[in-house]
Amino acid sequence: MIKKFVVFLCLAIFAYAGDATVEIVKKIDVLPKIAVQDASPKNVDVSSRQSFYKLIAGDLRVSSHFNVLDEYLQSSYEGGPLENFLSDKKVDMILRFSLTQDINAATVNVKLINAKTGVTTFEKVYSITDKRRNPFLAHKIVVDANDQVGAPSVKWMEQSVIFARYTEAKKSEIVISDYTLSYTKTVVTGGLNIFPKWANADQSAFYYTSYSGADPTIYRYDLKDGSRKNIISSPGMVVCSDVSKDGTKLLLTMAPKDQTDIYLYDIQSRKITKITDYSGIDVNGNFIDDDKRIAFVSDRLGSPDIFAQGIYDKSFEKLVYHGKNKNSISTYDNYIVYSSREADSEFGRNTFNLYLISTKTDYLRQLTASGENLYPRFAKDPDTIMFIKQFGNQSALGIIRLNANKTYQFQLKTGKLQSIDW
Amino acid sequence: MGKLALTSLAVAVLVLTGCSQKSPEVDMTKGTGDTKGASSDGMSALQKLIASLEANSKTIYFDFDKYSVRKDQQSNIDANAALFNSAEAKSFSIKVEGNCDEFGTDEYNYALGLKRAKSVKDGLVAKGMVADRITVVSYGESNPASTEHNKDAWAKNRRAEFKVLP
Repeated sequence: MIKKFVVFLCLAIFAYAGDATVEIVKKIDVLPKIAVQDASPKNVDVSSRQSFYKLIAGDLRVSSHFNVLDEYLQSSYEGGPLENFLSDKKVDMILRFSLTQDINAATVNVKLINAKTGVTTFEKVYSITDKRRNPFLAHKIVVDANDQVGAPSVKWMEQSVIFARYTEAKKSEIVISDYTLSYTKTVVTGGLNIFPKWANADQSAFYYTSYSGADPTIYRYDLKDGSRKNIISSPGMVVCSDVSKDGTKLLLTMAPKDQTDIYLYDIQSRKITKITDYSGIDVNGNFIDDDKRIAFVSDRLGSPDIFAQGIYDKSFEKLVYHGKNKNSISTYDNYIVYSSREADSEFGRNTFNLYLISTKTDYLRQLTASGENLYPRFAKDPDTIMFIKQFGNQSALGIIRLNANKTYQFQLKTGKLQSIDW
Repeated sequence: MGKLALTSLAVAVLVLTGCSQKSPEVDMTKGTGDTKGASSDGMSALQKLIASLEANSKTIYFDFDKYSVRKDQQSNIDANAALFNSAEAKSFSIKVEGNCDEFGTDEYNYALGLKRAKSVKDGLVAKGMVADRITVVSYGESNPASTEHNKDAWAKNRRAEFKVLP
């Protein structure tokens, strides 16, 4: 039986900077205390071992389902009476890993041990053909360990993140990474490349806007074979804002007559349907209500706000009555997360906070308290939201775990984040 | 069953191939570069004329979060219309580039830049330019004139600029 511990959950502090959500929680909870042991062979270099330890321990913390012992421990893989119980640490379980690597590949043997009985309850061997992708290996291990204790799934950790980062004026790259930015791979360079958006659930292709031609153009990039297909161009601007659940339809922001409106684009037929028609700004369309309606940002009532309308029905409704300047949204079924500018300051830094609402009820929750929190995006799991945190010319990926009321940040080493998707 | 009773030990091998990606990377500048007929000093007469027209055009500045042309910027619109309607410039197209300050990195910011460019285009047309000669584009916050973080820099970045196209 797992011993119960009292854990005070306040501001989450990971290996990276933390950020408080508004609801500061001081609650009594029961989380299994877990230790991570490195049982890698001595010929594996120390930095690789410790990096892998940090990835595992970090993932366990971000899962919010474990009380993680903050101590790097080493052991043999088989373990002895002391290593299998760690009595002095008073832990409930041990995650032991043994990392081996060759020039390209990596293999990790993993055990989950009940520290009260010393019994191995789970064992698995993981391998990867490109060891640069080790962070995904660590995420997979923690997803499985989390499942073993019966906690809500954290499979979102395995999702790849795609983002655009500014490198200099009118120049940006598109990069694929894991959620901690420990693994990054640049896939599009040269000129201005912005607003990447995954094209399908298995993340094998993505859309993005390129400014390399006469007009801004959306391309579809297939990661399996590296092929690139021109989808559509528009004067002024063009962005792929959302992809339908089945991947067959896109919501585009386009300005063919110098005026931004939202359009539906059918991938198969290439048919374009104009959804909104307003002389001001309509942008950021997102499918809602089983892809039958859209939520979008518009300044039709004077300042940017969130509205909804049917795809073939021109009547619209205002969705949010809180705050005054909402400029970016993301949807998950009946939930909308948005960024709101809290003060119109011409002379100082602006504060942007994130809020979560339901389209079906009057539910409203403030998710951040200070700074510039932008571009929120739901994971496949509605309990997790990713966003951009800006600090002048630097930025970080933020992760909000809604049920645990915790926020984590992962600093981008170079460049400034323009947009994200996952 | 002893103290260390055996649990069923599932040993599985999982091969993560990482989406079997082919390590693609595309450089958007390849195959899209301009071809230029350069003279010995690196610029053709045409390029010199275009550079001169662009240098003589006046940047239009905007208020915070606004896209209407300020009264104090109207004289710059007038001057640009006269410049682009001059005999030496009349055969060229004009691209108006709308830009924003660093606050916001979303579609709305790009749309705001586009509305600024459109306001300038409308102002130029009102002063006699043919609308078909003018295209607009937004660079959002991606093209700052100043990378500092103060009110003067932000004011410099809320602007519309001009490119002369042959």
